[in-house]
Amino acid sequence: MGEKGALIAKFLLVRVAVSVPVILGIVFLTFMLIRVGGQDPVAMLAGPMADEAMLTALRAQLQLDQPLLLQFANYLFRLVQGDLGVSWQGGIPVWGEILHLFPATLELVLLSVGLAALIGVPIGLRAATHPNGWFDQLSRFGSLAGFSMPTYWMGLMAILVFFYILRWAPPPMGRLSMEVVAPTVVTGSLLLDCILAGNWQALGSALAHLALPVACFTLLAAAPMIKQSRAILIEIMNSDYVRYARANGFSKATIRKMALRNAATPLLTFLGMELTSLLAAAALVEYIFSLSGLGQWGLNAILLGDFAVVQGYVLTLALFSVFIFMVIDLIVMLLEPRR
Amino acid sequence: MIKSFSKTIMLVIGMWATLAVPVVAQEKTLVMAMSATPKGFDPDIWVPGQIEAAVNLYEGLTRYGTRTGGNGKPEVDPSKIEPHLAESWTVSPDGKTYLFKLKKGVRSPFGNELTSQDIVWTYEKSAVQKRTGQFMRTAARIDKVEAISKYEVRYTLSDANRIFLGALTLHLPAIFDSVEAKKHATPEDPYATKWLALNTAGFGPYHLQTLQGGQQAVFVVNPNYAFKKPYFTRMVWREVPSPATRVALIRTGQVQYAEQIPFQQLTALRADNSVKVESVPGFGGATVRMNPRYPPFDKVKVRQAVAYATDYAAIGEAVFLGQGTRSRSMLNSPIAGAVSAYKYETDYNKAKQLLSEAGYPNGVDVTLEYSTNWWWEEPLVLQMQASLAKAGIRVTPKRIPSTEMLARRTINVWTVPFLTHLTSSFVPDPSYNMFLTAHCRGSSNVNANCDAAMDKLIDASVVERDQKRWLALLEQAQNLQADSATFVETFLPGTHEVFAACMKGYVWKPHNRLVWKDLTCAS
Amino acid sequence: MSAEAASPSHWLAYPLGLARRSPTFVVGLGIVLFFLGLALLAPVIAPFNPTQSFSYEVLQAPGGRFFFGSDGNGMDVLSRVIHGSRYAFGIAVPAGLIMVGIGMPLGLLAGYKGGWLDEALLRTLDVLRAFPTIILALAVVAATGQSLVSMVVVIGLLDSPIFARVVRAEVLTLRSSTFVKAAIAVGNPSWRVMWVHILPNAILGATAQLPMRMAWAVRISATLAFIGVGIQAPTPEWGAMIRQGAEYVITGEWWVALFPGLALMTLVLGFNLLGDGLTDLLDPKRRGVGK
Repeated sequence: MGEKGALIAKFLLVRVAVSVPVILGIVFLTFMLIRVGGQDPVAMLAGPMADEAMLTALRAQLQLDQPLLLQFANYLFRLVQGDLGVSWQGGIPVWGEILHLFPATLELVLLSVGLAALIGVPIGLRAATHPNGWFDQLSRFGSLAGFSMPTYWMGLMAILVFFYILRWAPPPMGRLSMEVVAPTVVTGSLLLDCILAGNWQALGSALAHLALPVACFTLLAAAPMIKQSRAILIEIMNSDYVRYARANGFSKATIRKMALRNAATPLLTFLGMELTSLLAAAALVEYIFSLSGLGQWGLNAILLGDFAVVQGYVLTLALFSVFIFMVIDLIVMLLEPRR
Repeated sequence: MIKSFSKTIMLVIGMWATLAVPVVAQEKTLVMAMSATPKGFDPDIWVPGQIEAAVNLYEGLTRYGTRTGGNGKPEVDPSKIEPHLAESWTVSPDGKTYLFKLKKGVRSPFGNELTSQDIVWTYEKSAVQKRTGQFMRTAARIDKVEAISKYEVRYTLSDANRIFLGALTLHLPAIFDSVEAKKHATPEDPYATKWLALNTAGFGPYHLQTLQGGQQAVFVVNPNYAFKKPYFTRMVWREVPSPATRVALIRTGQVQYAEQIPFQQLTALRADNSVKVESVPGFGGATVRMNPRYPPFDKVKVRQAVAYATDYAAIGEAVFLGQGTRSRSMLNSPIAGAVSAYKYETDYNKAKQLLSEAGYPNGVDVTLEYSTNWWWEEPLVLQMQASLAKAGIRVTPKRIPSTEMLARRTINVWTVPFLTHLTSSFVPDPSYNMFLTAHCRGSSNVNANCDAAMDKLIDASVVERDQKRWLALLEQAQNLQADSATFVETFLPGTHEVFAACMKGYVWKPHNRLVWKDLTCAS
Repeated sequence: MSAEAASPSHWLAYPLGLARRSPTFVVGLGIVLFFLGLALLAPVIAPFNPTQSFSYEVLQAPGGRFFFGSDGNGMDVLSRVIHGSRYAFGIAVPAGLIMVGIGMPLGLLAGYKGGWLDEALLRTLDVLRAFPTIILALAVVAATGQSLVSMVVVIGLLDSPIFARVVRAEVLTLRSSTFVKAAIAVGNPSWRVMWVHILPNAILGATAQLPMRMAWAVRISATLAFIGVGIQAPTPEWGAMIRQGAEYVITGEWWVALFPGLALMTLVLGFNLLGDGLTDLLDPKRRGVGK
């Protein structure tokens, strides 16, 4: 145990050390990118009745007239102290809003990715055991269709059919019906807070409101899962040692267990990558279903040139990605004692 | 005997009291689907959603009167200014000094009474912030605001002008409950601007209860409101960013008001029995502006050519679906003094002739920049492209981010040669309108419209007290503007509010925002 | 099938054999070729000019003059969908070329030489992995303005490291293969080994990736257009059309969004099928255990 503990500690240290320049790179890239274009939030801040003198004064006040690198240095300096700046729309601190909104996005993404894995991985694995059979062809076609449909398109169609025409889904205007009393905020995740508070009515309402967005998102996420789990398992089945095992007459069941155990690593790695890439795609789903998550806020900020918010949003996503990769790699390392 | 008698009396009184207690008014809630939650409530600092909320939270010393319009419904009468938070006023013979008597017993939700101290504090705050409130003060030529007694305020103007009383109908500079606000002042922030940005303390009909950024804001009625109690006691402002979703919500009865509905969908909504669409022409005009500092627009003949090469009929059909009103001048009714000054009609031959006279016999290439501030910008630009091409003016449309547009069209910046813009203002006063839009110092002058003669006319009209001379000045100014052709006047997009079918009582106000206190819904 | 056609010398033998080995490839190829045909023949087969506005016939239902109806600006949806395929290919092909042009040499060098170049590539990949790609694309395009060219360049650049990684993986596998080892042992200079022995095989392996990346390029450009960046009206690009049509779906004018949406889906599906099929055909390992 002590040895394993030391291994884990070393891994974490190395990983964190390596991640810092990556995060730095991302922050720098975002910082520069968002300032390069013609977006000038000063005019928006100054209001419709501003004149040039007011704009110049405001720009100096916000230190936007300084050289870019100096601005970046200032930003970094404040960042390490935990100050992520404020949104220019109303002076709301970015850090507080992130804490407030991120759990909602996380809730959506984790639920969807979880469901997608539960559905997609078994389908992909089953398809791999009978390659080119009817099940395989059908699932391949289905997953490719999922790849090809734009998320926003699916969301709009879902609203049209399930809410507007059929009236099955609740109105896409938030995460909770208005008649229902919201639970006190503990974790920020509505579902968890409802369970913690024992508020079953709110839980039902929250689940109903999540049904459509999660369904759309799950379909989107399941497609690559099916494809990738199938590919992984097929590659394993064709590998030398499986061939050797089969030649030696091991039972099908034993071989299958062996293959699955070996599939766990690449599958987990893939899941981690999917989770991080889908986190960004959640923004569009949130927009269409008015779920008021981090993505909706970040998307709006990019289009309006709200620099601090964009930087905070991207930083959150990047940190989360790095964290997920670290966790997954740690699990993989622990599962595979070869190293 | 007396004991049992007094007991009976007690019993009777008790029963009577219980029965006679008026039934507690039930809460009436109106749910609104809005594009975004308000980002702030201080009328001096513009942020998205602020104006839509502030007009219901803060009220002014005066208000506009109403009259019965052509269709039998009440409408605003811009020529009548009535007392509101001020009970009455007197004006000095030179028109420069006004003495207002405040209405007594006006209380904020915090219980504090309106006094002259509140008014003075408001102007001090605006002076410190140097933003929109200060601009209004300058436009109305307010020099000094002094408290004479507890309920009397004296305004001293630098010039007598027509804008002043109309400006006082507005929600800014907002009249704050300074007693409450001062509780949140700090040495670095003596006017509590931080607190006032996200909280409300006024004498208007509504008051902010909760704000959950990105989700919803809830407003409740001011229990101490000095005027007729609004029907709706609770307003739920829900953030629904997607317009398609807002339409779905109003049609299914989930909300009773939906904001910013795309124009093309109004036709379908009008046919829907569960929805009521209230349409008002308003006086804001959709225009295409030319900046005379950039060639080829430095030549008046080129600008006039553009005006002649515009296909007004097609625009009316394709963009405004036959439901817009044609704009006849820089000023349109119901603004007083509006005349039909804009005399251009579609005439491609004339356009080509003017172009070659100006030195462009083979036509000219221009870029028309627009943004997403108004729904009609892109369809209008595309129609302009199609139409101007027939006169040899080759238009390249270019959409730019709204922040960039805001920055570049600012007064004294003026780096957009050819753009779309909506002519509008809060106050339906013609001089004020022209000052904002066409005067070299006007903050809504987006295309460097700087003509000395024009400025002189506008300045003169602001202080002209004789009615006939004033109307003559206005007519002159409008004709001058039309001749210079820096604006292409197309149509008045109008204001179209979408409600649940039961909604009654909607009256359009010149600030062009929804006023909640007038609405009723007998369901 | 007649006995003649089944014989190996018949001209249909090869395509038929291909179809039997991988129906996905054939279907995918068919779809892509169909849209390519649309793109090339657009000016000829489209009934109207795609940006011609019929001001008095806005939002007409399908039928009559406008087979797919007309949109919010009075432009013919069918013509716009047909011309839209030009933009789809106009984005996918240059982006693909950029991706290959940058990614291929990078991947080759990194895989073969290793060292600092390899490290740099892996670090860049790390950054890209953690950076939400769509946000990056959005931010760049929002920053550099509404230009088709900038969008193509951005998409191509974003894809290059991913493509480079695939190439690198192929190179690494090949480098340890017997025939390359033999070539080195015999005394070939390293540039020759790279050029003659590794490159052709690496290209073959990476080719299957190309259609997938092109599918991604089409999808992401449509997403960006939907959000409102990258495409200037009235360009007949499918994503921009869906954006306009999305508003009308709920009031019953379904045709504005449906047809470009179907076209987009079908082409992206076609690219994906093509890529999948190519993988099937070129990489025997992936085809599955015996049949």
